[in-house]
This record gives sequence, C-alpha cells and structure tokens, in this order.
Amino acid sequence: MPLPKLLRLIYRNIRVNTDPGSLIILVGLPALYLIFFGFGFQSLSGAAGSGNYLAFLTPGILSFQVVMAGTVGGSILWADRRWGMFAQLLSGPFTRLEYLLGIMLTSLLFGLGGSAVMLGVAWLLLGTGPTSPLALGLMFGVIVLGSIFFGSLMLLLGALVKSNTAYNSIQILLIFVVNFASTVFYPLSAGLPVALQVLFRINPLTYVADAVRGAYAGSLTATDGYQLLLLAVESVVILYLAVRAYLRSELSYE
Amino acid sequence: MQSTAPARPLPPAGEPVILAQDVRYSYDRKRFALAGVDFAVQRGEVFGLLGRNGAGKSTLIKAMTTLVEVTSGTLRVLGMDPAREGTRIRERIGVVQQAESFDFTSVEGNLDVYGMLWGVPRAERRRRREALLERFGLTDIRKRRAFDISGGQKRRVQVAKEFMHDMDILFLDEPTVGLDILMRRTLLDSLRAEVRRGLTVVFTTHNLEEADYLCDRVAVLDEGRILVLDTVENLKRLYGGKKTVDLTIGGADGPGFFAALGRELGADTTVTATGSSGVILTDDPKRALSTIAALAQHRAAQIEWLAVRPNTLEDVFLKSVAHPAEGRAAP
Repeated sequence: MPLPKLLRLIYRNIRVNTDPGSLIILVGLPALYLIFFGFGFQSLSGAAGSGNYLAFLTPGILSFQVVMAGTVGGSILWADRRWGMFAQLLSGPFTRLEYLLGIMLTSLLFGLGGSAVMLGVAWLLLGTGPTSPLALGLMFGVIVLGSIFFGSLMLLLGALVKSNTAYNSIQILLIFVVNFASTVFYPLSAGLPVALQVLFRINPLTYVADAVRGAYAGSLTATDGYQLLLLAVESVVILYLAVRAYLRSELSYE
Repeated sequence: MQSTAPARPLPPAGEPVILAQDVRYSYDRKRFALAGVDFAVQRGEVFGLLGRNGAGKSTLIKAMTTLVEVTSGTLRVLGMDPAREGTRIRERIGVVQQAESFDFTSVEGNLDVYGMLWGVPRAERRRRREALLERFGLTDIRKRRAFDISGGQKRRVQVAKEFMHDMDILFLDEPTVGLDILMRRTLLDSLRAEVRRGLTVVFTTHNLEEADYLCDRVAVLDEGRILVLDTVENLKRLYGGKKTVDLTIGGADGPGFFAALGRELGADTTVTATGSSGVILTDDPKRALSTIAALAQHRAAQIEWLAVRPNTLEDVFLKSVAHPAEGRAAP
C-alpha cells in the first residue's frame, strides 16, 4: 500500500534536502545561540544586577526556530526550480497544490521538531520548562502560526528570486534583520532609538517571541492575544501572496 | 524490468494514444511556438520529433505532458484532455526533460526516491534500482552524489530513474545529449525492449542516426509546423531517387560558391551550405559533378572533399527544412 502523495512529497523533501550536516546546523545553530548568548550575556546582566538572561533568552530562541523552518521551505522550492525537480515533479503524478502543501508541511515539521529539540536543550541548561501542558500546547500553537508566516515569506522569496547569489543574500539579510530587530534577544525598551522601536513593533517575530515567552511562563496577556491575531492576519496575507507568486512561477530558470 | 502494463485501460484498439488536431500554442498570443500541428501516435509506436532549435519540439512535448496548455486545437493523450485531466494523464506517463533534473542525494538515492514518489513498493524499488544501475552502467558510482558526477552520467541517472515506475507513454526530450556512443546505444536498445512490451515512446532528437535506428515514424518540425511526417522508410523512398553529394571547397568564397552552384543546378536540386562545406541533393549526380568542376575552375576554388553517397534521414531533414512545400504531412 503506497503512502498518500502528500506524505511521499514530505518524505522526499526531508530525505533529499536535509543531509546530516544541514540538520546539525538547523538545530545546532539556535542551540549555539542559546549557549553563547545565554551564558555570555547572563554574566553581563549578572554584573549589572538584573534578572536571569538565560531564562529570558530560552523562549526567544524557541521562537527563532520558526525563521529557520521558513528558510527550509524557501530553499526547497528554490533548489527544486534551480535543479529541474520542480518541473520533473509536476510532470509526474503531483499537482502544484500538493507540491506546495508538501513544502509547507515540511517547514512546519522542522519548526516543531527544532522547537522540541530546543526545549530539551533548555531543560538541560535551566532545569525548568513550560509551566503546564496547556502552556506547552499554547507555545507549540504559536510556533505553528509563526512557521506558516515565515514559511510563506521564504516561499515568496523562493518563487520570485532567480539568482543563487540574490536568494542567499536576501535570505541572510532577512534573517539578520528579523532576528535582531525582535524581542528574541532583548526586550523592547524605551531606551531604543525610535526607528528601531518601530521595527521591533512591526516585526512578526516579536509577536511570536512575546507569545512564546508568555506561554512558556504561563502568563499570556491580552497584548499577546492581539499580537497573535495580527500575526494570523499577516500570515493569511503573506500566504496568499506566496501562493499567487508560486502558481505563476516558471517551472525552471531556462 | 517489470512489464509496463497499464494500470487503467488504454484507448480502444485502433484509436491513437496521442491525437493532435490543429494544435497551436502561443506565449504571447502573437508569435506561435506551435502553429497548427496535426498528428496521431498509435500504441507501441516510437514517434520521433525532429527539428532545428526553436522549431517547437520541446513546446509540443510540454503540451503533451500537461506542463503547458495549448492555446487552441484538440489534443488528447491516452484519450484524455491535458487541460482537464492533467493529473490522470501524468500518472500514466514518464518524462525525461531536456534540462537536467536530480535530487541532492546519491545516484542510487535518486532512483530510490523517485520510485518512492511514484508509489512503487520498497522491495520492488530495490529490485528495479539494482537492475537499472547495472543496465545504465551506474553501479560503480551508485554512492556518489548526483551533483558530483559528469554530465553524461547525470543524463544516465535522469533516464534510468524514469524506468523506476510503470507507464503507458514515455516522452524523452533529447535524451541522448551528453551520452557516449556505447551508452547511447544502450539507451536506444533499452527503449526498443520496452517498446516490444507495449510502451509508446515519443522523443525529440537532433541526432538523425538514432531517429533512423529507433523510430517507426518521424515528424520534421519547423517554425511550429510539421513539414513532413511519415515512416522512415517512406521518407527515404520519397527522397530515394536522389543522391547526396558532400562537397568542401577551399580558396574561394564558400557561400557565394554554393549560391552560384544552386542557381546552376536549378530547382530540382537542393544545395545546403555552411561556410565552405555543402550538401547537394540531386537526381543527376553526373551533371552535378560536372557543374561543380566547371564552377570550381571558373571561381578558382579547390575541391578539398567530394563524395557521392546514397540518401540518409539527415538528407531528408535538410531537404524538408530547405523546401517545406515539397514535404508532405500525413497524420
């Protein structure tokens, strides 16, 4: 009994697009952030007499996984178009929609899988985790929403950009700005320049990080709720744009 | 290799597995890549599409494999309309694209993953993979990553993996590009073996020798139209009264020489030239030789190479492209 088509596509995406080296980087890079930034800035905040930075950073790094998951989806589409497999698969038994769903679900699996691994790392470092099963469920719910947003954003990039250099450059810039202009690494404070504060407030990763932090501590606020609602709306818009660009995308770069 | 027996019924006996009637395709509604194409392909037939670059061969393959939708006309593949039943058609065909296509895994991994995508059970995948690695000479490089191997090896992987699944029609867009002589013959013989089991093959090529070796019928396309369509034997017979003269000259203006030669020999003779070399198709080789000698003397040209030989499919191709009105299309 063969697997359903969608599962075949997901299995293929995981098997051919993620060698052991890529998997270690995908999961290991956020863990390295947690270890180096966490302990490094912990000593700084300790010297300044403020709170536990490692505990602050951990949910932020969990949120970072949604961006990493998004890059997986965008890279699969881009590589398949570049190396002819997009046209090859669409001349096989798959529809464009099935192919797209395959990529989105692969991204989601990476988002959830990476977050689960990070939870384990955080448990080892902090000795604590989410306060209740409900908090854990809420946290993963936010991760799913964030993965959809960033998966769609990277798909849009993969569908529009034709050059390898441009794709990689834009992706690196996007990851840098999205990560460091969010509340993943530090809180939004009045001391930040106004332009940076605006960037923080419109950055969807801030909404993900705040909500994951709230869920992790079992203290989600109404503000987190509004931010999640906004993230859901933005996810629908960006998903629509990504699907539109994807459906119009050429089969290859020839 | 396991039988390529179809999972669902083919069109009734006598009905073509591919039918094209006045098929047109335009990228911009102004210029037509396909400008009214008519043909039919029968089950178990090897149908060749010949033509220059940009003649419309790849577009026609893309239309038949549901990757582009025709602008007008009727196209049926396995009795189905590609515009409405694309997925059902694609479940029953195999496609070897002109461009390379491979996954970032090993050679054997490429075969295995492709078979898995088609829903071939694991044990059967393993059996087919081993047979194909052997048949296409890939056993020694089975563990190497597909993007690390040579162009010819990649092409072999690309063709081999298409045989991982069953199909009713196999479309190949210039499948032998980059293959050495031995591997080209291996591929053509593999296709012949599959055809004997009932597979229908449609393929495009620039190599007329392989079309001659493999095809039951060929269609010569130019500017989106079929110039001639017939069995290889009939086409050779059609042009068979003629002989071919190969000529290379030196010490004179090549294009001017061949243009003058064409005028001297008249409308019954076809002169096709590239630089200082030309091919002359004629009913009267004796007259052609004496005209060549006289013209060479008059223009102070040296005859560097001259040979008279029987007609080949290549000559049919040159003739049909040079004088399309003399060709015939018989779907």
